[in-house]
Amino acid sequence: MSELRRVDEVVWEIPADARPDMRVPARVFADEELLEAIADDRSLDQLQDVATLPGVVGAVLAMPDVHQGYGFPVGGIAATEPPEGVVSPGGVGYDINCGVRLLAAQFGADELGERREALVHEISRAVPAGKGTGAERGLVAPRLEDVLAEGPRALVERAGIGTSEDVELTESSGRLAGADAAALSERARSRGADQLGTLGSGNHFVELQEVDEVREPEAARTYGLREGQVTVLIHSGSRGLGHQVCTDYVKRMDASLGRHGIRLPDRQLACAPISSPEGREYLAAMAAAANFAFANRHAIAHRVRAAIARVVGQAAAEGTAQVYDVAHNVAKLERHGGRELCVHRKGATRAFPPGSEDVPERHRGAGQPVFIPGSMGTASYVLAGRPGAMARTFGTVCHGAGRRMSRTGARKRVKGAELRRELERSGVAVRSGSNRGLAEEAPFAYKDVERVVDVVERAGLAVAVARLRPIGIVKG
Amino acid sequence: VSFRWVEHTGELEVELEATSERGVFEAGFEAMRELLAGGEGGAPLVVEIDLPGRDRAALLADWLAELAFLGEARGLVPDRLARLELDEDGLGATIEGREGEPPHLVKAATYHRLRFDRADGGWRARVVLDV
Repeated sequence: MSELRRVDEVVWEIPADARPDMRVPARVFADEELLEAIADDRSLDQLQDVATLPGVVGAVLAMPDVHQGYGFPVGGIAATEPPEGVVSPGGVGYDINCGVRLLAAQFGADELGERREALVHEISRAVPAGKGTGAERGLVAPRLEDVLAEGPRALVERAGIGTSEDVELTESSGRLAGADAAALSERARSRGADQLGTLGSGNHFVELQEVDEVREPEAARTYGLREGQVTVLIHSGSRGLGHQVCTDYVKRMDASLGRHGIRLPDRQLACAPISSPEGREYLAAMAAAANFAFANRHAIAHRVRAAIARVVGQAAAEGTAQVYDVAHNVAKLERHGGRELCVHRKGATRAFPPGSEDVPERHRGAGQPVFIPGSMGTASYVLAGRPGAMARTFGTVCHGAGRRMSRTGARKRVKGAELRRELERSGVAVRSGSNRGLAEEAPFAYKDVERVVDVVERAGLAVAVARLRPIGIVKG
Repeated sequence: VSFRWVEHTGELEVELEATSERGVFEAGFEAMRELLAGGEGGAPLVVEIDLPGRDRAALLADWLAELAFLGEARGLVPDRLARLELDEDGLGATIEGREGEPPHLVKAATYHRLRFDRADGGWRARVVLDV
C-alpha cells in the first residue's frame, strides 16, 4: 500500500506516475478498515491496470465495496472520452446490467404475520432459479427482438406484463438507446430465448424485507417507504444472453488490439475506440442485453406480484409498487463536466442527485434511489444520490457490501445446511436449491455493509434513506 | 495431468499442469467435469466440439467456456473425454456424458491473467472463470 496517499478522510489515491503505463490516477473510497481488506486482494493492481486504458479521463475509481474481479475490479469505475477513448466489454462484465429492483408492498410485516414463510415459498415456486427457463411457469413473452429493442416496455405493451409506471420508474426508462439485435451472435440470442423472468444463480436472489429504519423521512415518503412495510428486492441480470455478448466482444476486441495500436497489461481489458466498428457494435449489443436485463427483472417482479396475490390477496399484489430499478454493470454515454464520456460501471450504481433530469419526475426532488444489498441475512440500504457523486465519481456509488472472502474459503468455514438453520433461527426464511451456493454467500464472506454505506455518506456521494431488514430469501 | 483451484475473492481461478499441450486441455476438461458434476441418471449424451484458434491460451479459455455453455444449454454432465485432437488451427473433441441438471455456476471463461506457457519441462496454464 506504499504508493497510496490519503486525499481526505475517506479518499486515497495512487498517483498516475506510480506505473509508467498509467494515464490517470487511481482513487479509492474507503476507511482504514475497508482499505485493509481491499489491499488484501488484487483490486488495486486491477484498478491501476484500468488506468492504462486509452482515452481514460479524470481518475479511475474504486468504491468502498470493491473487490478483485477480472480485468476491472468489481466496484470499479472508469470514464473514457469519445471518439478515441475506448469501450471495454470487460469493464461492464459478463452479466451485463446485472442490477436490482425494489418493490414496496402496502402491507406491513406485522400484517403478513405467519404467512411470511408461505410467501417466501410461493415466490420460490413462481421465479425459476438455476437453469430454469422463463416459459416453464407460464410466462408468455413477446418476441425476443422486441425485448432487446424496447426493454420492459415490450412486456407491458405486447404481453400485458407489469405497468407503464414500472417502466417509468426504471433507470433510463428501461431502455438504453442504440440497441441493435443484429449486433448479437446467434448463440447470444439463443441463450436468451427462454431465460426471460428467471433468476439465474450465484449471488442472484429475491429477498423479502421489512423497512426497519427510516433515516430521511421526506425522501422515504417520496419513494413510498415507511417503517414496518414489506419490501421485495430483486437481484438478477441479462442471464446467458449477456454472458455471450461479453464473451463474443472480448474475443473480437482482443483480436483487433494490434490494428488499433492498443497495448494492455491484461487481455481481459480488451477494448476498441468507441468510434470504431467494434466499439459501436459492442455498445449496440450491450444496450440490447441491458434492455433484456431490465425486462428480466420486470418479468420477475410480475411473478413476485402473482405470488403475493396467491398468498396475501389480489389487492395486496396490485398495491405493490415499484420504487426503482438500477443497473450495476453497464457502460453509458453521459455528460460530465461539459464533456460526453463513456462511463463504465462494473459493480457500481449510477447515483444522480436531486434535480437531475435523468431521474424520474416522481423521485427528482429526492435524488435517484440507489439500493445497496447487504450480505445474505444482513440489512440492505436505500440511498439517494447527492451532488458529491457528480463532482467526485461520475455520478456513481457502490453496489453492495462487496466480497472479502473466496467462495472456497466460505465453504470451508460453514456448511450450507448449518447456515440455513442459523438464518431461520434469526427470523429469515430461506429457499435455496443448493446448500453449496448458500454457503458461498455466507454473510462473513462479505464486507460490513454499514461501513460501506458510512463511507459513501461521508464522501458526500449519497445519503442513507432507509434500512431494510431481511425476513425471507429465495436464492438463485 | 492435474488442476488446482486457486483462492480468488470473487471468481474461480484454476491452474492446469501437464507434460504436453494436449494434456493441459485434458486437465481443463477434468476441472470442468468437477464443476458440472451432479444430478443422478439422465439419458446418455454425446457431443462433438470443433473450436478454431491458433492462440493456445485463448483456445483453452474457449474450451472451458464451451463446456460451461453445454452445461447450461444442453444440460451436459460430462463423464469422459472420448476424443481430443489438437492441431495448429484449433481442437476437435468428442464428449460422452449424460443429460442432467449440472450446477449453473460458470458464466464465462475470462482472459484475465490468462496464461499458457512452458514450465519445468511441461506446460502450465491458468484461467479465471466468471461465476
